[in-house]
Amino acid sequence: MYKEDLLKKLRKNTTLQFDMPKTTVKGITYPDVVKQYINMCETVGCKVIEAKKNDDFNAIIRKAYPNAKVFASNVKGIKADRNPDTVGSAQELNGTDVGIIEGDVAVAENGCVWIPQTMKEKVICFISEELVILVHRDKIVNNMHEAYERITMPEYGYGCFISGPSKTADIEQALVMGAQAARGVTIILIG
Amino acid sequence: MSTYHSKRAAEFLKDPEKVTRHDQTFWSLRQKRDDRAHELPEWEDLREHSSQIKAHTATHLADYIDQFTENLKKNGVIVHFAKDAQEFNEIAYGILEDHNVRKLVKSKSMLTEECQLNPYLIKRGINVVETDLGERILQLMHLRPAHIVMPAIHLTREEIGKMFEEKGISKEIGNYDPTYLTRCGRENLRNDFMDADAGMTGCNFGIAATGDCVVCTNEGNADMSTSLPKLHIVAMGIEKVIPDYASLAVFHRLLSRSGTGQPSTAFTSHFRKPRPGGEMHVILVDNGRSNMIANPEHWQTLKCIRCGACMNTCPVYRRSGGYSYSYFIPGPIGVDLGMIHDPKKYSGNVSACSLCLSCDCVCPAKVEPGSQIYRWRQSLEKYGTENKEKMVMAEGMKAVYENYHVYDALLRNSPIANHIPESLADIKLNPWSIGHTMPHFAQKSFHAIFKQAMDELKKGKK
Amino acid sequence: MVLFRKFVARKRTRKYIIMRVGLFIPCYVDALFPQVGVATYRLLKKLKVDVVYPEHQTCCGQPMANGGFQRMSGHLAERFEKNFKEFDYVVIPSVSCAAFVRVNYPQILDHECKTPKKAIELVEFLHDVLKVKELPGSFPHVVSVHNSCHGVRELLLSAPSEENIPPYNKILDLLNLKEGITVKEPERKDECCGFGGMFAVEEPQVSTRMGTDKVQRHMATGAEVITGSDSSCLMHMQGIANKKKYPIKFMHVAEILAADCNILKGDI
Repeated sequence: MYKEDLLKKLRKNTTLQFDMPKTTVKGITYPDVVKQYINMCETVGCKVIEAKKNDDFNAIIRKAYPNAKVFASNVKGIKADRNPDTVGSAQELNGTDVGIIEGDVAVAENGCVWIPQTMKEKVICFISEELVILVHRDKIVNNMHEAYERITMPEYGYGCFISGPSKTADIEQALVMGAQAARGVTIILIG
Repeated sequence: MSTYHSKRAAEFLKDPEKVTRHDQTFWSLRQKRDDRAHELPEWEDLREHSSQIKAHTATHLADYIDQFTENLKKNGVIVHFAKDAQEFNEIAYGILEDHNVRKLVKSKSMLTEECQLNPYLIKRGINVVETDLGERILQLMHLRPAHIVMPAIHLTREEIGKMFEEKGISKEIGNYDPTYLTRCGRENLRNDFMDADAGMTGCNFGIAATGDCVVCTNEGNADMSTSLPKLHIVAMGIEKVIPDYASLAVFHRLLSRSGTGQPSTAFTSHFRKPRPGGEMHVILVDNGRSNMIANPEHWQTLKCIRCGACMNTCPVYRRSGGYSYSYFIPGPIGVDLGMIHDPKKYSGNVSACSLCLSCDCVCPAKVEPGSQIYRWRQSLEKYGTENKEKMVMAEGMKAVYENYHVYDALLRNSPIANHIPESLADIKLNPWSIGHTMPHFAQKSFHAIFKQAMDELKKGKK
Repeated sequence: MVLFRKFVARKRTRKYIIMRVGLFIPCYVDALFPQVGVATYRLLKKLKVDVVYPEHQTCCGQPMANGGFQRMSGHLAERFEKNFKEFDYVVIPSVSCAAFVRVNYPQILDHECKTPKKAIELVEFLHDVLKVKELPGSFPHVVSVHNSCHGVRELLLSAPSEENIPPYNKILDLLNLKEGITVKEPERKDECCGFGGMFAVEEPQVSTRMGTDKVQRHMATGAEVITGSDSSCLMHMQGIANKKKYPIKFMHVAEILAADCNILKGDI
């Protein structure tokens, strides 16, 4: 089917037209967005570690995951065994214990954080058993309306809002963390 | 008097314990949804906006599809249009064939269910692997989804555990712990992700202004399916296109809150470009959608965002199960979608509604599925699928109600009916007696009482 | 200022209400539950409403329409319009019938009609028009309120549980005016009982299961009586309760509101 045929048919079949709403939705705001964000992160199954700008993130991460062996990251200053920018294929990142990535805009209402693809192989965000996301406090917004005004799409043309670990309730509605992607998520809140 | 749905529902209801579990499972989702809705003071405003944005988009769809596909092309995405299921399947297979794909990993897509893509591809030698855990379980059990968001929730852990044992996915015989079984599924699917040649996803929202294909999942399987293979195919109905990020914010806030009672799905993935060195294809499927907009009574069905909230709240769905409907999407919206798709074929689901309109009140896009079912009922005669016995009954009522003297005479004699023994009333031809005793006619109707009182009053005055 | 407002309010409620009110007694109430009609009439008289019960009324047309035969409701809608168009209000002690007239008549009749705007369910009329703030008589029983679907979601007698709007319930407000009453609501306070007119005969198994669940939830409140403003829901649940021999009574809201009131002269 050609696009033109479809568009023509749609135009012919549309007899009544409606306008966009004239107002915008006034989204919920919180007196303390950071507190709300931390609460929501915990609700959706994340661990939250509050850190200062000059803290040793490597030490924090190693302390949080004392038994992990394989770390992967392309974040500046983060020590890692694998780098998603330089691996030969995405598949080589399988078996990663902890992936460390950077988040951008974070959302207080639902624990989402925008992960723009800043690495060649985005699979690091999903294939790692545990995911660490670095989030700056001053990037936290109230709600998705604010978030969608602020996010930008990186050159790679992919981004994802992540809200906690991969989860499923497909078997008798029992909530299980770690369906196909990361089994756990730690948010390191910086600033 | 029975319909396709009522017969299947009667089967489902033979196991009252199972019905209780099923009802409770979906009611708890409704309650979670209510909790989320009550956390947001702007909830009703969100629903109204969502409804208006969808109404606008659906009635300007040609413009938005044009904008969307132009942006897709700019982003290096290859665009296809399919007029029906057959064409969609052919296009999808064509892309896979061109790339010598042997294994395809898929995240959940109701559109591919609608078009029956899996059997089409499997017949042609493609190994199709569903990667949503629930969908995977159903695929291995050769069952169809019983719900659009939680497709396998009607199964018990034992049923799933035993199947996993048979397929060698679970090694610990007799371990039916959901966490354990989920881990087994994870390990098993991980292998499939690793050596898949292509990934296919659905698309919850196509953003006209940017060309993003937005996919919402909880498992992260859409991302696993598209981050390992180099080839990504997006299958989407044309009604999934929305204007921009501002609109997306509205729908995003409503979708998972309404469907599963979560503040957000775990993953909201925005696919705008192919992977480095890879290819991204988007197939826009019509399959009857362009006709829906011309239907003055039912075009609003196009506003649906497939959250599943109408199923969860539907007292009939909760007590009759997803398989009691003949269309692949069950519940109130499934009744409507089936009818708009093929009214003659799917008329047997139209009885599955007590017109309680709870679905109208939960729907985040104000599709008003229940009110639409009422309207579909009115059109069954047009398709020749009306229930003949019910029509005779309605004709009888009409005849009595339209003639007051017949009505009055009937009511005067009706107390006689009270003397029919229950055992006689309890016959097959009387569906009311399946669950009820017969109602008791009053010795004197209200209008007779009233008339008598007024006559006496008049006499008294004289 | 507050005192003045109170004074005005009192004056208003005391004033003899001059409005023409027609009473519509739906077919099934007429035939099966005449006591509901009697209670409604008495209650309105007690509240000094000049109520008229026009002769030759039968049915609003809802049963056929809900079953998919709205086309058969046309003549009945015309007759309803003819019987009641001159009144200021048409009071109907049945939510689904009142909702049907209000919501569906404009689509059924091919000309402009007056009654959809005038049709008002009894609870609405007492609560919103008469603004009843006190009622004589006591009803020293525990009752569980059945919020009928069309009352909740079409007439907005109470805040639908699905919506995020401030909670209210006009039936509860009125019942609580009776001395000695204990008013409860079941868990899942506005879930459907499964009557739905012809739905009950077309889908008898689902309908019965819904009704059984509903009656059990009502009984779990400890109520002696299940009450509501639609006798068709009550009839359905009563049929189920009788079949299962559940020890529970059913009464229309009008019967409770009119209970223990002195009967006036010229009443029925």
